[in-house]
Amino acid sequence: MPRLEDLPDAARQGMLNFPAFDHDDAPFAPFTKPLAEAKTALVTTAGLHLRGDAPFSSGDESYRVIPSAARAADIIQSHMSIGFDRTGIMRDVNVTFPIDRLRELVERGDAGSLTERFYSFMGAQRSPRRIESETGPEVGRLLLEEGADAALLTPT
Amino acid sequence: MLARAIEETGLPTVAIALVKEHALRVKPPRALWAPFPFGFALGKPDDAAFQHKVIAAALGLLPEQAVPALAEFPEDADAPPLLLQASAAQAGAANREGDPADEVTALRGYYERWVEEHQGRTMVGLSGAPQRRFRGLVRWMQAFAAGDDAPYPDAPEGMAPARFLRLACDDLKAFFLEARLSRLPGESENDRQRWFWSETAMGSLIASAAARLVEQGDDRTAQGVAR
Repeated sequence: MPRLEDLPDAARQGMLNFPAFDHDDAPFAPFTKPLAEAKTALVTTAGLHLRGDAPFSSGDESYRVIPSAARAADIIQSHMSIGFDRTGIMRDVNVTFPIDRLRELVERGDAGSLTERFYSFMGAQRSPRRIESETGPEVGRLLLEEGADAALLTPT
Repeated sequence: MLARAIEETGLPTVAIALVKEHALRVKPPRALWAPFPFGFALGKPDDAAFQHKVIAAALGLLPEQAVPALAEFPEDADAPPLLLQASAAQAGAANREGDPADEVTALRGYYERWVEEHQGRTMVGLSGAPQRRFRGLVRWMQAFAAGDDAPYPDAPEGMAPARFLRLACDDLKAFFLEARLSRLPGESENDRQRWFWSETAMGSLIASAAARLVEQGDDRTAQGVAR
């Protein structure tokens, strides 16, 4: 998805017009270890958080910590919109936030280890300047302090 | 965009991207374009093997040095159709006769079965109002829709009533949809939405509460509530 050519006109235009920051190139940090020795982090923009943690509001540019040892049952979502079907996440949070899958990779030896903390941001941001300049870099630094070697990012 | 911000601190990233056109513009350092619907970034719920394939494809991009690197996941998941807009789903005859509190009671068994079958997983829990007290929550919403501005007695301290209403509506929608999923697992998402908005009294109550918010000039919360 959504392949844009499959969307109705209004939805396609909405996606094409959704503000995105245009860039000519990308920053680069080298990944230097085999995955089986690396410490991997998970970061999502699906508005997930622990039950009992403060829900996100629309346009919220703060983040929430989700421990990598959290039970999938303790994770809920404050991001909801007519733009997506929530029943996938209701059935299985791993379809957006593959916390059980990453733990399985470590158990199998395919991934080295996980950071203790995973992070979550709110999705569908129209002008996420603060995430770009402040809260996003902060999460990068916190993960590096924990010894992270790579981060996997998942959308809503 | 977040991937870029994190990569700039020195941590290599790989992002799963659902909208190729956005990835081409934003240029995250490494992205796997997965042609799945929103809400299904790993393709298929309850399918660990499929999810592992997507993760392996994404993590496999990490050694990539020529950035931006955008790869495409080769398989489609069986995509559910696009969601109906609430306004379209509400086009049917709305149920204004039934009592949403009785619907809560009637659905509770299905809801609790859903939670049990999912090892405690549920999307209910944003407002802090326990599921066992949803009948009382419905009564409060009915009073609000009818013009009474008394706050919900157990709302979190300091939370604005409109904000609480939004979270309460999200909880009630999750309760109804999870109960319905438990009862009719094979139903299409559009049929489920149509059921909620045009056949349940709860759908009508939420629409009435949204109408009251509009009267109060809070179009933004109203829009969030009624979808």
